[in-house]
Amino acid sequence: MSTESKRLRRLLMSNTLSMFGLVTVAVFVVLALLEVLTFGRLTPYDPYAPNFAAANLPPSLTHFFGTDFEGRDIFSQVIAALPVDMGISIAVVVVSALVGIALGTLAGYFRGAFDEVIMRLTDMFLAFPQIIMSLAIAATLGPSLLNVSLSLIVVWWPSYVRLVRGAVLAVTAEDYVSVSKALNSSFQYIVRKDALPNVLPSVLVYATTDIGSAMLTLSTLGYLNVGIPPAMPELGKMVSSVTYNLYLYPSQVVIPALVVMVMVAGFSFLGEGLRESLDVKLRPHIRIRGRVLGRIAGGQPEQESDLPPATV
Amino acid sequence: MLLGVALIVFFISHVLSPDPALLWAGPRARPETIRAVAAAYHLNDPLPAQLYYYFQGLVTGNFGLDPQTGRPIMSEILFYAPNTLELVLASMVIIIVLGVGLGYLSGMRFGTKVDSAIRLFYLTTWSTPYYLGAVVAILAFASYIPLFPSGGNGGVGFSVAPTTGVFVLDALLQANWLAVESGIDHLILPATTLALLSFGIVPRIMRSSILDTRWSTHVKAARARGLGEGEVRRKHILRNALIDTTTVIATTFGWLFSGTIIVEQIFAWPGIGQFSYSAIISVNYPVLVACVFVFTLGVIVANFLADIIYPLLDPRITLGEGG
Repeated sequence: MSTESKRLRRLLMSNTLSMFGLVTVAVFVVLALLEVLTFGRLTPYDPYAPNFAAANLPPSLTHFFGTDFEGRDIFSQVIAALPVDMGISIAVVVVSALVGIALGTLAGYFRGAFDEVIMRLTDMFLAFPQIIMSLAIAATLGPSLLNVSLSLIVVWWPSYVRLVRGAVLAVTAEDYVSVSKALNSSFQYIVRKDALPNVLPSVLVYATTDIGSAMLTLSTLGYLNVGIPPAMPELGKMVSSVTYNLYLYPSQVVIPALVVMVMVAGFSFLGEGLRESLDVKLRPHIRIRGRVLGRIAGGQPEQESDLPPATV
Repeated sequence: MLLGVALIVFFISHVLSPDPALLWAGPRARPETIRAVAAAYHLNDPLPAQLYYYFQGLVTGNFGLDPQTGRPIMSEILFYAPNTLELVLASMVIIIVLGVGLGYLSGMRFGTKVDSAIRLFYLTTWSTPYYLGAVVAILAFASYIPLFPSGGNGGVGFSVAPTTGVFVLDALLQANWLAVESGIDHLILPATTLALLSFGIVPRIMRSSILDTRWSTHVKAARARGLGEGEVRRKHILRNALIDTTTVIATTFGWLFSGTIIVEQIFAWPGIGQFSYSAIISVNYPVLVACVFVFTLGVIVANFLADIIYPLLDPRITLGEGG
């Protein structure tokens, strides 16, 4: 076990993509948390106070990201928007994953009519293009924090049901689970001991990347001015409020959008790196500094591969 | 399937909202307007009756009148849809060629610098919001380096009779070469932008299915039988990897349609995406519902096409086996 976790850490550390992702995600999560914990005192300027004497300034040392058409500091606005973007995206993914685990486990374990109904529903919801469905719901429900989260959750849960159900189906088809069932193990016992430990890692990996997608969709809703309350700072909304200034002051438009991009990239790089490091089938073919992974952590020398030695 | 989707749209548009009439009439409508709208769209009737009218409208292709222009929504959609189709299909070609190509290259060069570079590229473009990508594309290739026009579909100033509604195709059919050139010129930038921002998942799945296949026993067996490397790669690795990739390409349509809302608006492309954007901005609810339905229909058709393509790729799957 300890060799295994040491090996995994080695793998993650050697992977530039996932290290970049980890650092980026950590920085943004810490910033968002600090902003919430200090009740918005992290921002160097008041993000909403207009100062027309300092309107449309380019990025500088006093205003890291410059100021917008009303002279409000863009850096402060970005910091103020972080908890909203980060918080909603994480909440949406966590709730969807929980719904997915619950429904997917039930459907995969009990099969039959229940499974059929759940999967039909899942397929129908999956047929809707992501942004368009949450757009319609958010527009119907009207702007509020809860409504916009709900509109995203409605679109987000089906893929988790599918993921979990597939994994549970595969696990319950294993011989050891049949034996466990024959020994009169309860549903709860099998789920807790056999199904969940097999399902959770893949859900976790998928969810990491998925937080990025949720953030993209959320900020697109913000860009379209749907679902986010008027007084609430949100990165996509910031972008759309200055797009008409694109040719004159491109930095005002590009900077908040770049922040979204870097955050999303952080989550997806981290998820991608995790997925690859957890993939046992790839292990024999990954080399770190020219050496096969198995040897580094003192495991068995792995089989030869037809690849040239390469650093990951 | 289609029935279920229609029911969900009905639920969102008629049941979910506390006061649908207010939504359909717009936020600043006078009370008498709201009452008139409620009567015109049968919003005061009991739900089963509303459901009946809703399905009657769908089956006859009647989405009602656009409250802002007064024209039937269906005819407006028929005007905008071909333009979106043109944009989406052009992007799809780019996605398939680039996505499959890069994914294959990345998988076959697993662990090399080429692999890392390709992954960095598609993960980054995938993480880019549509509004950023489109804006940067316009700034870079239409403003700073003026290679392409920044907006429109190139139809302005040409009198090309709309036979199919797709401008480039119409111009081709009528051998109007200047119009064809203008159309393609206007198409390149938005189509490439849309494609690059949506395609990330295609090379990603292609790469992982290549990795799943290339060290599998059946490929080893093929090599052991003495097949040439080229044939092994083409028939045993590439073809196998394409099966999963086809599914993903079909789901990419969903992202493409979502993307058109932003990309068409920024590039001033006269399609459904821009139509729905203006519907959102001007709180034109009936049009928005119709657009949601059209987009979803597009995704369903794409998935259906993918189901038809499977048996061609995978000899183990045959159609009509009660699947």
